[in-house]
Amino acid sequence: MRPLALNGALGVLALSLFVLSLLVGPADLRLGESVSGLLAGGSEAAGIIMREIRLPRALLGLAIGFSLGLAGAVLQGFLRNPLAEPGIIGVSATAALGAVAIFYSGLAGTSLYTLPAGALAGAFAAVLILLAIASRQGSTLTLILAGVALSSLSGALTSLVLNLSPNPFAAYEIIFWLLGSLKDRSMEHVALAVPLMALGWLLIALSGRAIDALSLGEDAAQSLGIHMGRTRFLIVAGVALSVGAATAVAGTIGFIGLVVPHLLRPLTDRLPSSLLLPAGLGGAALLLAADSAARLILPAGELNVGVLTALIGAPFFLWLVMRARREML
Amino acid sequence: MSGTGRRHGRSWPGLILLAGALLCGPASASPPARVMSLNVCTDQLAMTLAAPGQLVSVSFLAREPGLSMLHEEAKNYGANRGLAEEVFLQKPDLVVTGTYSLHNTTALLRRLSFAVEEFSFVQTLDTIPDEVRRMGALLGQEDKARAIADGFAKELADIERRQCDRRPTAVAYEQNGVALGSETLADSVITAAGFDNLAADLGVVGMSPFPVEQIVARRPDVIITRDPAGAPTLGAEIPRHPAISALPDTRVGAFVPEGSWSCGAPAVMEAVRALVRLREEIAPCPEPGAPR
Repeated sequence: MRPLALNGALGVLALSLFVLSLLVGPADLRLGESVSGLLAGGSEAAGIIMREIRLPRALLGLAIGFSLGLAGAVLQGFLRNPLAEPGIIGVSATAALGAVAIFYSGLAGTSLYTLPAGALAGAFAAVLILLAIASRQGSTLTLILAGVALSSLSGALTSLVLNLSPNPFAAYEIIFWLLGSLKDRSMEHVALAVPLMALGWLLIALSGRAIDALSLGEDAAQSLGIHMGRTRFLIVAGVALSVGAATAVAGTIGFIGLVVPHLLRPLTDRLPSSLLLPAGLGGAALLLAADSAARLILPAGELNVGVLTALIGAPFFLWLVMRARREML
Repeated sequence: MSGTGRRHGRSWPGLILLAGALLCGPASASPPARVMSLNVCTDQLAMTLAAPGQLVSVSFLAREPGLSMLHEEAKNYGANRGLAEEVFLQKPDLVVTGTYSLHNTTALLRRLSFAVEEFSFVQTLDTIPDEVRRMGALLGQEDKARAIADGFAKELADIERRQCDRRPTAVAYEQNGVALGSETLADSVITAAGFDNLAADLGVVGMSPFPVEQIVARRPDVIITRDPAGAPTLGAEIPRHPAISALPDTRVGAFVPEGSWSCGAPAVMEAVRALVRLREEIAPCPEPGAPR
């Protein structure tokens, strides 16, 4: 498929699901009410619901889905590992741990700004640890196993911190951090996370040429004039910024970065860089669809969106593992 | 928390237990000299009624300002975590506890032949006088309990008589966007103070998640929140969502005193009084004696 056609189609899909996300919610708003509420100002209930509740949620779905899809694509390309994904290799879980450790301890006050600060620190730490492991041990499996260990450890420590909080309500929030949700986010969260994510996207985009060259191997890439240190920095910082900021406001949402690049790779020319934009757009579409479904399946209580992405992603992961094993034999 | 949200019917089992306690309970013998309370709600009743030195320990939650109106007074007693071992070491003559979450402990203590009295917390305003009298009978403080129970019932009747047709809507909106619907203590307080409980009107029973969108769509006159306690949580942010602050004619705030409506104890009247003052301010009834 031609890149322009592919990106155009995915863009239209993501945009339609963005609109769908705006139209789904527990308050029964008619289509006309929704549109006029979104565009007109004022303090009518429909306007407040659209502008303060549904719009931030849809914007975050778009941006977080884009971040997760993009991060998955760049990690798979850079690490030359088909199973790499921010959720599976533990970047999301460690970002969540960072956010939880800083916010719930109350050491930095109760400001929401502590969330991305902690999450970025956690995400940076995770990416650095994983790169160190990957550079010593080239095997696909080692990296994934290390990621699984990092994920479990971070998840356990997240639960521990929340259980240790003197506030009895904190323990209820374990499920948010482990399974992710976009419920009741506001424009504050958009302002908090989207600029950081956008900076991350930019850094990842700058690494595009380098990951193409890297698909020929590190030595070949260096002979093509690729500066490994610079590439490593761009990808570490780009992934940490986009995944860290996403996790800070939505908890851990897994598998999007795994499923989407794999689905879309056959439609590209298989150069890692030409997968980046499609994976971002596809990730946005998948998260918006999953988040709308989460609201439709259980309207009042609302399912955590990470449950749905795992229901789609985990069987897919299993299939990939089986296939990778066959290829190794 | 414990107590406010459980779904129970009216208190027939409670009344039968009360009758049993009055007929053959410890009231006829000499009152128990050493009593332990394992539940934050029995703590409130026991601290109100016990004779000096009679109550040896209360639950550790009794010191939490957000859950316990008598949290200052609770510091005068020992604190327990509701563990059977603690009871065994203290060897009290009577253990009072709630039916909330300590079933295993209760069963174990009975096996060890301790006297355990369970309070099935129906938790509406109407049941409080009976609960007070029952605790009074158990502790041998019948006169004090009767005075408190009668005073409570009389004040409640007076307040309910002052209601009128103007009933603003209110909703009790807790951490994480949970609303308190019908069959909760908060619902009976809101209704007695002359408000319509929005959550109960929409069919919410007990404690249940209630979307911010629904709140905004229904525009209640009053949203009763809880002041965030101590360590931060994300759930505490939900009742302060910008969409709720954007409602122009809705009052949002912690209108009931901290901890006053967590337990069905006489101190709940503080919450009723606070809401009555609020209702009189935003929707005053025409004149005393006006038709209900």
